[in-house]
Amino acid sequence: MHGWTGTILKVDLTSGRIWREEIPEEFLHAYLGGRGLGVRLMRDYFRLDPFDPEMPLIFAVGPLCGTPAPTAARLAVVSRSPLTGTIYDCSAGGRFAWRLKAAGLDALFITGQSPTPVALAIDGDSAEFLPADTLWGMEVKESVHALAGHGSVATIGPAGENGVLFANIMMGEGNSVGRGGLGAVMGAKRLKAVTVDGAGSVSPADAERFEHARRDVMRLFRASPVIFGELGIAQFGTPALVDLMRQRRMAPTENFRKTVFPASGNYSGPAILRDYQAKNDGCFGCPIQCKKSTPQGEHLPEYETVSHFGALNGISSLAAIVKANTLCNDLGMDTITAAATLSAWGEIRGRFPSAEEVPALLRAAAGRCGAGELLSLGSRRLTEQLGRPDLSMSVKGLELPAYDPRGAYGMALAYCTSNRGGCHLRAYPISHEILRKPVPTDRFSFSGKARIIKIAEDTNAAVDSLVACKFSFFGATLEEYAELLSATTGTEFTPQTLKEIGERIYLTERWYNCENGFTTADDRLPERFYAEPGSSGEGIEVFPIDRARFEEELQKYYRIRGLTPEGTFSDPTYLERQP
Amino acid sequence: MRDQIVKYAGKLLADRSALEGRIAIAAKDDVLLADGDPALVRLAGSVLDRLNCLSLVAASPAVPFADFLVARAPAGDCAIVPRDTETRTFLHDIPFLRANDLEADPAARIAQLLGSRKGVVVEGVGIIASGALTVEQAYINYSSVFHATFVKYLEDLLVEGFRLPGEKEAFAAFRTGWLRPLTAEGLVFRLGPLVDPDEILDEVTTVGRYTVERGLVDSFFGNISCRCGDMIYISQTAASLDELSGCIDPVPFGNTSTTGITASSELAAHRRIFETSDAAVILHGHPKFAVVMSMLCEEEGCPVTDCWKDCPKVRIMGGTPVVAGEIGAGGLAKRVPPVIAGPGRAMVYGHGVFTIGRTGFAEAFSALVEVENWCRTEYFRRLALRG
Ligand code: SF4
Ligand SMILES: [Zn+2]
Ligand SMILES: [Zn+2]
Repeated sequence: MHGWTGTILKVDLTSGRIWREEIPEEFLHAYLGGRGLGVRLMRDYFRLDPFDPEMPLIFAVGPLCGTPAPTAARLAVVSRSPLTGTIYDCSAGGRFAWRLKAAGLDALFITGQSPTPVALAIDGDSAEFLPADTLWGMEVKESVHALAGHGSVATIGPAGENGVLFANIMMGEGNSVGRGGLGAVMGAKRLKAVTVDGAGSVSPADAERFEHARRDVMRLFRASPVIFGELGIAQFGTPALVDLMRQRRMAPTENFRKTVFPASGNYSGPAILRDYQAKNDGCFGCPIQCKKSTPQGEHLPEYETVSHFGALNGISSLAAIVKANTLCNDLGMDTITAAATLSAWGEIRGRFPSAEEVPALLRAAAGRCGAGELLSLGSRRLTEQLGRPDLSMSVKGLELPAYDPRGAYGMALAYCTSNRGGCHLRAYPISHEILRKPVPTDRFSFSGKARIIKIAEDTNAAVDSLVACKFSFFGATLEEYAELLSATTGTEFTPQTLKEIGERIYLTERWYNCENGFTTADDRLPERFYAEPGSSGEGIEVFPIDRARFEEELQKYYRIRGLTPEGTFSDPTYLERQP
Repeated sequence: MRDQIVKYAGKLLADRSALEGRIAIAAKDDVLLADGDPALVRLAGSVLDRLNCLSLVAASPAVPFADFLVARAPAGDCAIVPRDTETRTFLHDIPFLRANDLEADPAARIAQLLGSRKGVVVEGVGIIASGALTVEQAYINYSSVFHATFVKYLEDLLVEGFRLPGEKEAFAAFRTGWLRPLTAEGLVFRLGPLVDPDEILDEVTTVGRYTVERGLVDSFFGNISCRCGDMIYISQTAASLDELSGCIDPVPFGNTSTTGITASSELAAHRRIFETSDAAVILHGHPKFAVVMSMLCEEEGCPVTDCWKDCPKVRIMGGTPVVAGEIGAGGLAKRVPPVIAGPGRAMVYGHGVFTIGRTGFAEAFSALVEVENWCRTEYFRRLALRG
């Protein structure tokens, strides 16, 4: 087999058993790897409570991992989210993915619960548990440091140990497995960390064809203003979006009461570069290097983080935002949900937290003490407990990131149809509604959006299964990635077949969610967006979203997906018929 | 979406890339919408039905070059491989189906090819192109294939001459019937210097429209900018030159704001040109004869293989310097600025033309017309020499 190793490492923390199994080739062809493979492997487990010891935590790489395919040294972590209750996956870059592949593995499948804290150490063909009592309680940086020498590290911080519902799994190089609280799933297993090292390599089935496709991708990167343009993400990182969202009047401000924050210039891309002498940083093996860090190596925050600790909480100090980001990373906590939860709490209290208060609140959340007990639950549970459920700006309990849905109707729809809740990275319509890639669409129109969102969700499910970075697709397309994949594996894939695989993965996820009780009632934006306008001005009117038009497009989306008007499956055999 | 179908069918006629009465556009919302020639509509509908994308254009191109390329291709070939930059970068190759490969239901075969490429040539039928997200995208892909096959055919003719029965006559008809004289006559330009932002936006929009209306460039390939103090006003990426209203980004020279992240991929080239010359405005487009001529290199024994990006030489054609270089962050932004200041014009290998105006767009526009006219004349001279 080329591209895949065909092997999965299974780990039962309860019994302490570790063993390798083969993955049938048909599975790999039908689900690729990463998100798709993980989702398939969840088939017998998706009904379990996320904290049930038998709930799997799956790390899966893709067929391109280990090759020089641009942005492909990534993995997906898949499980069920304690924050949203949905099936959940998250993609992260770094050497960890690359080394997991080099240890001969396509996936790691962890179930059970260890009686005492442990770390799992994988070294080539062998794997063992290391006692982790001394690591338990450590922050991420410390923990990574303590495990140096074992290859790459994926670890949780105090937030994951304490069951914070939006705890991340953090990769040693700073990449995070974020948003859905998979760090808490790992913590519930008393698994502090996984380390991996390996020496294997991946050779493409057709090296010449591979190299040709790789060059095609690089040429498209160079032709993309968003990637390698003078104002693009390679230059400024994702905070390049700060100025743009300000100008488009869709920067969520004060818990989405407004959509313009006058001080956002303080944390724009150019401001960060200037104030921190930011240098390029990024995922292992990625030519884009969109992440930025200080000369001392402190990771600087991404767009969603600066915007949510900034505008969403009315905080204008860049230093405070950078500090909040670093603290979240050290505690192992999702920045978007942390900031959004603070903001929802702030609106209820009638006062958003000041820059000075933030660090203590974040520590309290991670430790679940004082006000932190409530904050650790995320905005939906917090607002419910405080009697103001309307003030959680989330979909399916996942807090909306920094793109106001009143300013991009495709985004509004995409937040609702995303299987993991209010996330911008599934259909990612920002690409065409704001960044004009691959072609521009009218952001204030629902016309055609149902179909566009469906196609994009399928495409990105394939991308997340390859596993490549979404930012590649500001330049490249599935055409070039299908070539990379065909050249690597020796099996022919086309953009069309990849989209079909993506569709299967998306529908499988939706199936799991429906079985767990999700319906069209969960595919809704918070009331605010249908009732209140955004901040109009400078020739741009930001209206509330027309509910009837939204519903009409959502129903269209269901029809296009072959679902019932309730958003559920009319064919009870759908899942059985899938490979 | 119906309005989109009507709009882009109209554009295919206005830019004279498709034959009247031989156009179909299909789009999928929750139901299939289609309009145009009934037979092509049926075909487009059943192809689109098999694809996970939103729209499809199927039309017979207004010049028969794509069919000629297929007919001239060696028996075993199944794709056309144009050498122009736009195609290399965005289309790669263009698969084709021969007339005698078409079974009773060609839709399945076409869908299969479109499953991995943005456009295909079907002999005797035309160009069929898909759009993943919008009707516009299918139109762009059709235009790209039309442009690519046009350029490739002209290039091949210079090398190989006429080979098919009727080819020479058809080409003569193209020359006298389809091609129109290029001129800036009758166009009104503001004199400049342009200083008022509203005036700049209006002038850039107007000039963009001129370039397309006069048949100099296709609407999607090119960009325009105007400098005013420490701001560059530049057309956005993926904007059509004939519809620039609302699609012009103001970009500060010092990169103090990143709103211009949506600006054209050639922002870097424009910026360097402004920095190194006395240009007040820049016009860039892909006129077809200039693209063809820019690829004619008579150098013998040259060790460079990827001439389009690696050729280090400056060649002169009709007084215009020709350099190599890739789009965007590739070498174009480095190689064009040093050669453009004096002559006010430059060609890029396999790509197109940049021209500048020291005050307003009149100078840049005439320069673009002159370069393309010179290339046309020279092309036909060389073709005649070939015999
Ligand atoms: S583009 Fe950025 S996020 Fe994506 S792989 Fe590269 S460095 Fe990582
Ligand atoms: Zn160009
Ligand atoms: Zn050469």
